[in-house]
Amino acid sequence: MAVPLRISLAPLLGALTTGAALAEDLFLAPSTLPEVLTATRLQQAPAAVPGSVSVLDSALIRASGARSLPELLRLVPGMLVVPQNGNSTTVNYHGSSANQARRLQVLVDGRSVYRAGFAQVDWNDIPVAIEDIERIEVFRGPNTVSYGANALMAVINILTRAPRDSHGTRLKATQGERGISDWYASHGHGWQGGDLRLSLSGQQDDGFDHKADGSDFRDGQRLSRLNLRVSQELDASQSLDWQLALKEGSNQIDNHYQPVFPIAAQPWEQDGDSDVRARDYAGSLRWNLDLDPSHSLYVQGNLQQWERLRQWRACEGQLAFSPELGQLWALSPQYVEQLGQNLQTGNFMPPAGTSEQVALATRVLQQAFATLNPSQGTLAHSCGLINEDVRESRFDLEIQDTLSLSDNLRLVSGLRYQHDRADSDVYLDGRRSRDTWSLFSQFEWHIDSHWLLQGGAMLEDDNATSPSLSPRLALNYLITPAHGLRVVYSEAVRSPDMFENHADWQYPVRDLHPAALGQSQARYFASAHGPGNLEQERMRSRELGYNGRFADLGLSLDLKLFYDEIDNLISEPLKVYDFMPSNDNRLHLKGAEGELDWRLGLQDRLRLGYAYIEFDATHRIDRRLTPRHSGSAGWLRDWGHDWSSSLFYYGADSLNQYRFERVDLRLAKRLRLGSGQLELAGVLQQRLDDEPLGWPNNNYDERRVFWISAGLEL
Amino acid sequence: MRLFKTLALLCLLATAPLAPAAEIIIASSHDTPALQRFVSDLAARRPDDHVQFMHPSQLSTPSAMPSDSRLILLGATALDWRLSDPGGPPTLVMQISRVQAHKRLGDQRPALLTLLWSDPAPARQLRLVRQLLPQARRVGLLYSDDSRFLVNELRHQAAAQGLAISAWYWPDNGDSRPLNRLLDESDVLLGVDDPALYNPRSIKGVLLASYSRKLALIGPTAAFIRAGSLSSSYSDQQDWLDDLDRLLALPPGQWPREAYPDNFKVLSNAQVARSLGIELSDDHDQAQRLQDWESDQ
Repeated sequence: MAVPLRISLAPLLGALTTGAALAEDLFLAPSTLPEVLTATRLQQAPAAVPGSVSVLDSALIRASGARSLPELLRLVPGMLVVPQNGNSTTVNYHGSSANQARRLQVLVDGRSVYRAGFAQVDWNDIPVAIEDIERIEVFRGPNTVSYGANALMAVINILTRAPRDSHGTRLKATQGERGISDWYASHGHGWQGGDLRLSLSGQQDDGFDHKADGSDFRDGQRLSRLNLRVSQELDASQSLDWQLALKEGSNQIDNHYQPVFPIAAQPWEQDGDSDVRARDYAGSLRWNLDLDPSHSLYVQGNLQQWERLRQWRACEGQLAFSPELGQLWALSPQYVEQLGQNLQTGNFMPPAGTSEQVALATRVLQQAFATLNPSQGTLAHSCGLINEDVRESRFDLEIQDTLSLSDNLRLVSGLRYQHDRADSDVYLDGRRSRDTWSLFSQFEWHIDSHWLLQGGAMLEDDNATSPSLSPRLALNYLITPAHGLRVVYSEAVRSPDMFENHADWQYPVRDLHPAALGQSQARYFASAHGPGNLEQERMRSRELGYNGRFADLGLSLDLKLFYDEIDNLISEPLKVYDFMPSNDNRLHLKGAEGELDWRLGLQDRLRLGYAYIEFDATHRIDRRLTPRHSGSAGWLRDWGHDWSSSLFYYGADSLNQYRFERVDLRLAKRLRLGSGQLELAGVLQQRLDDEPLGWPNNNYDERRVFWISAGLEL
Repeated sequence: MRLFKTLALLCLLATAPLAPAAEIIIASSHDTPALQRFVSDLAARRPDDHVQFMHPSQLSTPSAMPSDSRLILLGATALDWRLSDPGGPPTLVMQISRVQAHKRLGDQRPALLTLLWSDPAPARQLRLVRQLLPQARRVGLLYSDDSRFLVNELRHQAAAQGLAISAWYWPDNGDSRPLNRLLDESDVLLGVDDPALYNPRSIKGVLLASYSRKLALIGPTAAFIRAGSLSSSYSDQQDWLDDLDRLLALPPGQWPREAYPDNFKVLSNAQVARSLGIELSDDHDQAQRLQDWESDQ
């Protein structure tokens, strides 16, 4: 195929590229320069993209003062950032549930950090330092066609700075209120044909201050990371890019286990906290091959491991470890609930049921009497170790081929294989794995200078659900290259995770003291099992949009109207006492979004984002999160003499049912030190609302927080 | 200005028929088919003159050559030969860049020597920036020890067009820090024809770094367009022949000591423009707009 391609590309630059003309013209010497920005390397102009994309560039990232990825995403219209606590945050686009954020795809340099085993993105544990990020591209809308299942509602593409652009040494330290203490150190180095960047970083803070009841909220975090990225040119047409990322840290969690039976446990018998040790390891290798200026491909392999290690000692009535109660629960959780209600009302008779249920219940009641302390009205208890360790790993391999058939027609196709494995005694009773194959292809056809048609589809098959085909078709009308109208229709899917579909959830408890009903290790009575027959969630999305850049004004504008329908939605909260996920729900979202980036002269830059969202959800849990009005406004100013400032406002009328409004001010002074520079900055965050942040327990003592940072670049 | 040019043209027309036939010697250290074609094209333009090509080794010292002849030298090697002798016939030097000339002459402009710059005129390139990227105000400029002397000149020319030059010294291509700091504070990158900065080894890093920030490179010469530079003005053989024809019709006493070509074209990379969302009229139209602007100056 390469031969006709060359012919079609020959007229690219007219006579200058042809040897004959060069031989004739003494002043146009034949070029020995490589073709760098080839047809396959060039990206689409914003007006030509088949959807809406928010770009957070490095200047904006720096000016925001954000210390974490989710905080940065508040700049993206329609992005709903809700902390679960101080060390765990969910990010949703437009809606669904603030408890879980299962429907976004998140990539770091092409490597998905979405945990397929438990359908989540641990934002605070992603092994990437903000300081290493060159830009974040957020594709606001489904993009299964490009990124596979789970790119259901949006795709967040985090791109780190190329080693080639990271030469020199960077040091940064941040200190502030709320226990904020961050550091970052990186060194980049280049050699003939290669470059390297090594970064080390750490982060620490105390999280929120107090819970809804006024008690201290123990939800701080501490982490450290190592990132190594190396690129090496092999020859003029081949290069290798490899990365290592390690993250280690601990996330504080109180021992918030609440016994279901009345017991009189002493504080010293159990652990006060149940912190999670979170470790992420990742390695990736990418081989880029330029076959010719119009044809390139890459092969990327990623290997990842997530570890969430959590073990603590808790106390519960010995009756909870009764094998008979466990059998009764397995037969019918409702029957056990009825038995519990009877006991609370002083009715010591087994509820009506099958003869097996009644026989088991009778035995359980006997055990209850045997462990009852009549004077206190409590049951004898035992304390033991609970181990919620979860280990997940993934290997994936992708080959992607970009072929420019002519100046006006480009094809991107690829094949991907992914092997996911999750290991958890509590949630999966051991190990589960999943193999996923996907095949994708898309085309980009400039019909003429105004009309651009883009389409494609992804076929995906895994060994847990039925195969899916996700198509997309987009038509852009380019009024000029910088102004485009678009109509987009796309379909997308999300595969249920291993836990939703195949949970085997039970609590083996070890080292019970005293022995519970004669057992030193036993299973807790409650258990849950995944249905195994869950289907993929399916989204159909329609978008009408405009993207324009008014070069004279320095103004970029993106507007869109959307109507999204998600069916087969798995909305049910997943609790061990109430575990009934189904495909019975749906969520419809419609609204409008706008984003504006305006550079007013040399000193000022304005950035506005706004989303208006209406929704219709069948499940109550999907009706909490979505604000009708949400957005952000930013003003970046360079005051001259190396002083700069940025002022951001973030607001949502009802973010998970709480009003949210905050103003962030950052003031920075740069000092030139020879060829290097030192930047001193202070960030002040002021909440304008007086409410918890997303959930009732997320409260700060003060509405204001301040931190300072010093960054040295040599 | 326009009046002056018209008067100059009238003077030229008046003197042209009186200009005696001249011996025109073209000298270059490289004899190629393209050079032969250039020689024959110039001869066709100047039927009354005697145009011939000679290798510098075939020439005697400049002082020994007839003073009423005209020398046209191509390239830096030929210039070096000419500089060895302050005497000699009036000489037009072509295919010489500002950086090459500065290395040899500094700020000196020897009598009898007219330097015709091979690199695009900075004012023209800056105007091209304004035409293609009307929102761009901060023009990034890399310079090396060889091109340092151009910075102030570019600053003045940029200021005259409402642009601000942000200049960074880039002594070592292997160290990307100056490049990245420059790009962080620029709206567009303007290349100067300095091989220490822009060469086959460095251009990939420069273009990938600027493109990752969606910044365009203008220049340094038309040869870089295929690599991924957005646009540049340039002069081809036809343009140079027109310029030479005009100069040779003038008495050498009226030749300037240095000049950029009056005639030029524009070459752009349409794919890069499309990717950057830049509206690009065709190159002929861009060149015409530049010419109109220059006529108004």
